[in-house]
Amino acid sequence: MEITITGINAATFPHLHVWDWRVAMYLFLGGLSAGLAVMSSILNVRQGGALTVNERAASTAQILVPVILSIGMIFIFLDLERKLNVFWFYLTFQPLSPMSWGSWGLLVFYPVSILFAIAAVPAANRHRLLFRQLIELAEWLQKYRLHLAAANFAMGIFIGVYTGVLLSSFVARPLWNSAILPILFLCSALSAGAAMMIMISSQKKVKLFFTKIDIWLIISEMLLLPLFFYGQYTSSYAHRESIMPFFLFNHEYFWYGLAILFLLVILPCALVIKLLEIKEEHGETLPPDALLKMKLSAIIVLMGGIIVRFSFIYAGQLSHL
Amino acid sequence: MTAKFSRRTFFKTSGLVSAGIAATSMLPDKFLLWAEEKGMLQASQIPTYCEICFWKCGALAKVINGKVVKLEGNPAHPGSRGKLCGRGNGGTGLLYDPNRLKTPLINTGTRGEGKYKKASWDEALNFTAERMTKIAKKYGPESMAIFTPTDHFLPLISAFGSPNVGMPSFAQCRGPRDVGLELTFGDSIGSPERLDMLNSKVVVLLGSHLGENMHNSQVQDFVESIGRGAKYIVVDPRFSIAAGKAVKWLPIRPATDMALILAWIHIIISEELYDKEYISRYATGLDELRTAVRDYTPEWAAKETDLKAADIIETAHMLGRRAPAVCIHPGRHATWYGDDVQRTRALGILMALLGSWGREGGAFFATKASFPKVASKPYPEPSRPALNLGGYPFAGGEGVTQAIRTATITGKPYPIKGWFVSGTNLLKALPNQKETMEAIKQLDLLVAVDVMPFDTVMMADVILPECSYLERHDALAVGKGKSLTVSLRQPVIEPMYESKPAWWIAKELSKRLGLASYFPWNTYEDKIKSQCSLWGINYDELKKVGTITIPDSSNPYITPLNQPEFKTASGKIELYSHELKEKGFDPIPVYTSHEKPEPDEFRLIYGRHAVHTFSRTTNNPELHELYPENEVWINATKAHSLGIKNGSYVTLINQDDVKISHIKVKATERIREDCVYMVHGFGTTSKELKKAFAKGGDDQGLVTKYAVDPICGGTGMRVNFVRIGKETINA
Amino acid sequence: MRKYAMVIDQRRCVACMACVVACKKENDVPPGQFRTRVIEKVEGVFPEVRMELRSELCNHCENPPCVYNCPTGASYKRKEDGLILLKKYRCVGCKSCLAACPYDARYINEKKGFADKCTLCEHRIKEGKEPACVATCVGKSRIFGDLDDPKSPVSIALKENHSEVLLAGAGTKPRVHYIKIFSKPE
Repeated sequence: MEITITGINAATFPHLHVWDWRVAMYLFLGGLSAGLAVMSSILNVRQGGALTVNERAASTAQILVPVILSIGMIFIFLDLERKLNVFWFYLTFQPLSPMSWGSWGLLVFYPVSILFAIAAVPAANRHRLLFRQLIELAEWLQKYRLHLAAANFAMGIFIGVYTGVLLSSFVARPLWNSAILPILFLCSALSAGAAMMIMISSQKKVKLFFTKIDIWLIISEMLLLPLFFYGQYTSSYAHRESIMPFFLFNHEYFWYGLAILFLLVILPCALVIKLLEIKEEHGETLPPDALLKMKLSAIIVLMGGIIVRFSFIYAGQLSHL
Repeated sequence: MTAKFSRRTFFKTSGLVSAGIAATSMLPDKFLLWAEEKGMLQASQIPTYCEICFWKCGALAKVINGKVVKLEGNPAHPGSRGKLCGRGNGGTGLLYDPNRLKTPLINTGTRGEGKYKKASWDEALNFTAERMTKIAKKYGPESMAIFTPTDHFLPLISAFGSPNVGMPSFAQCRGPRDVGLELTFGDSIGSPERLDMLNSKVVVLLGSHLGENMHNSQVQDFVESIGRGAKYIVVDPRFSIAAGKAVKWLPIRPATDMALILAWIHIIISEELYDKEYISRYATGLDELRTAVRDYTPEWAAKETDLKAADIIETAHMLGRRAPAVCIHPGRHATWYGDDVQRTRALGILMALLGSWGREGGAFFATKASFPKVASKPYPEPSRPALNLGGYPFAGGEGVTQAIRTATITGKPYPIKGWFVSGTNLLKALPNQKETMEAIKQLDLLVAVDVMPFDTVMMADVILPECSYLERHDALAVGKGKSLTVSLRQPVIEPMYESKPAWWIAKELSKRLGLASYFPWNTYEDKIKSQCSLWGINYDELKKVGTITIPDSSNPYITPLNQPEFKTASGKIELYSHELKEKGFDPIPVYTSHEKPEPDEFRLIYGRHAVHTFSRTTNNPELHELYPENEVWINATKAHSLGIKNGSYVTLINQDDVKISHIKVKATERIREDCVYMVHGFGTTSKELKKAFAKGGDDQGLVTKYAVDPICGGTGMRVNFVRIGKETINA
Repeated sequence: MRKYAMVIDQRRCVACMACVVACKKENDVPPGQFRTRVIEKVEGVFPEVRMELRSELCNHCENPPCVYNCPTGASYKRKEDGLILLKKYRCVGCKSCLAACPYDARYINEKKGFADKCTLCEHRIKEGKEPACVATCVGKSRIFGDLDDPKSPVSIALKENHSEVLLAGAGTKPRVHYIKIFSKPE
């Protein structure tokens, strides 16, 4: 068959390319901060806050949440073609647009996460807040700690899932058009948050605790990814075609092949490393090689998160009905 | 509340107002359109007629604040009927092309070097007039030749005393077709062709790729006839757009069309499918014809044409059964293999047998109405006979361009020392560019008048920039289709840069040549006005509507009261042409077999693209972005066997070892294995055409061999054979 | 209430590209960008070849994914006639509409950054004219009108001919109908 098209737009031909690394970075960083928020809520609430005692992450983790989110927001802001119009997101609410939900959600997420960050600072370190008003605020917020933790947890789930909902709502992009995608993104986000938590926490028991969480999350991801691809494969022709870049392993789709190899081969290795970590008998503190293995597996998990976002953003734009 | 109107206020307001006006002239189109929508600015719609090709479609130019923002078809004009093709719509691309010729230029280097200095009009015109006068003194005014003689420069050159005019549209295009039909019917088919396709039941396109050949009203008729159920038979080695709409596509072997037509005639006569009454009444020579086509059986033709005999018979039956509402399109560009007059003769004979000439669904008669001739000062008799007819017995008044070229090279019968080139790109129009370059070397003067710096323009000694069609008056266009029409071309904006209309250039040159008396009017509009009053046309009305149709001027078909007059020697349709016999040619077409390509050799054929008018539009930004470079069409199977990939770039080498490089390959199922096809007009050598320069391949560069039709001098240009050479990947 | 729609009779298209150029001029579309396009598809093996010519544009869907996904309400469906239009001043350039459209109808205007597309020349419709592409279509292949008017050209065309829409399975309910027959010589 010979096809000649006159009047093509570079943005949509030979395939859609409108979203690039800026959007992918936002998806990853947004997911990471959401996952971190959830994990930090768990940290603060579990066993009445027992885990937060002498724990560095008790204060630093939640502070990182708005910081990482802001970096992500810079990236997504850079992607906008009409940056000066950005305020329009907040002059209206479009109930059918997941992006509208997300932009308002982000607006709510900021104060919740910042307030919780202030509230989560342990009493001993409260002086580090410097300003008298902040310290007073931190003290006042203590009675609302649980409420803030819950709100923080809920917003984290929301932010972690809404980007997946957004992408899955495009009937025109069959790769994304799956009900599993939001769950997959959430799972990946939580897993990244747990990995981050493992890296920044100071105590062995906290590290091991989040390792256990991360193990369950990675197992879920290991189930969701194949289920996702299976669901696409058994759906319509367009859906089946949309996952082909991942499995053709040729010169044209080299990076996608590499991505799927990472996700289905390397990521389980992180799982294995973590399983070995919790099986081992450790002394009071973790020996350096154990710390190294923990860091390595955490980095693998984070890279997995980046790779999921990047490959899905780019491969999704290759797909069409 | 009263306000004191002080001098300060006056200056402030007037300053603001003038600043406002200046500002609006710099505003982008989008704002102007929006402002017009809101009623802030007024748009004017000025009628004119287009010049992107030669169909002269009536157009309406939408002008807001001195900027032409859109062109639309003029509903009053029969050639456009309210619609413009892609090229007509893109006319603003020519108007605002940044590479346009802006000032007169005089060559300071060698010819073709491209080293021009800007000159004032006085300088350039004086230069031209001086050189022309020198030529006239030394060699005689007949030594000045003109290509293409327009309504402005033909009077100038005729007044100057030269009869040597050359229009490539004759010997490089329509000539053989017009001569063939004139020999048969005493009249040609006209331009626009007087084909009654709207009422046809069957239409034959042989040598027409209508659709890609975007002749507005004719394409409208083409499509409308299909909508009305007309059946199309398309004879073409290539699956054109028209073939895509046909019920029968005959992928004929190139150079064998005559065999097909003669076989059709054979079948129609032997099976008595011809219009007996029509032939006995209006034609002579049937018996001779019957004898002459006796051996042209469909089986014989099938072997020659590489078609199936059954298809030849079936299509002949389609024609015969639906006669006379059958339209045989005689083609337009007819200069193919050198026997082109005879091929058109065969088509004419076919038209006559079907009784379609002068009948509904066939070819209709032109309006008999006409405008009175405009009196003008008689031109001086040239002292030497014209050499532009080249000695060809049936050459038309448009001249045989290459005869002038040959005389320029050889100096015989007398030297041609000056070429006045206006509105034609000779290097791309004439075959064998080497000869054209050789001729140019012999010249004492090469003047170019054009809108854009095309290839031939960049060879000139002096370049006179003409403004585009949107910025000038031109002659009233008289249409002689079914009805008599007259159309006006008027400027819709003032000429840009220092460009000037051709009438002004001609008049200014006439002053410097002592020929001012031949240009008695002040401005060309004055001439048009007086012409209108002579013709009984209301000029103000014409300015507003663009085209006026004279009512009750049409009488297209044969009726008892409208009997045809055939301006042939016998006064009838000449199936057997006595005129040809007298001059020693075949009175009835005889089939001659033409050269076939060697294996892995291809005959080079060429054609048009819907968004381009050959080299005229390749630089037009609005059209360039739709089709920036041409391709060479090669049969997909053949390409595969030669290891040539679709989209790769190749070199084409012809039988004279002339090469053109870097042409994109279109490997397609839409063409035969023995020929390759290119859209003509690309591969310009002019660096000034920034968009078009070096884009695509110059097919004319490969047309080094040409077969001259001895009857009229037409140059058959489809007689070159090419081989394909692969290029390295990064070429 | 009007229901504007377009019918494209593919049998009458000759791929002359007049519509592509006229649209660009009428709507000041930047160079290199287009609101409508023409597709030339050829199938078969020489000499049994067949061709489809198809022009595409925004379908002004009844179920428009680009409107649903727009976060600022810039892309909207006009109630009185169902046209899908853009409030440029609200467009953020997030490109969700480009990603959401199954027909690749939208593009980011290179000069200004907003997501633009065919408006069915609503500024011309207001004055009682046809969209620019319809007005210039040499083959009268593009037919425009109000589906709620049984005498309009589109209603008549749809009544007399079999027509299809593009990507019917996407659920967008497009308002551009194609009378499509692969023309093929016998």
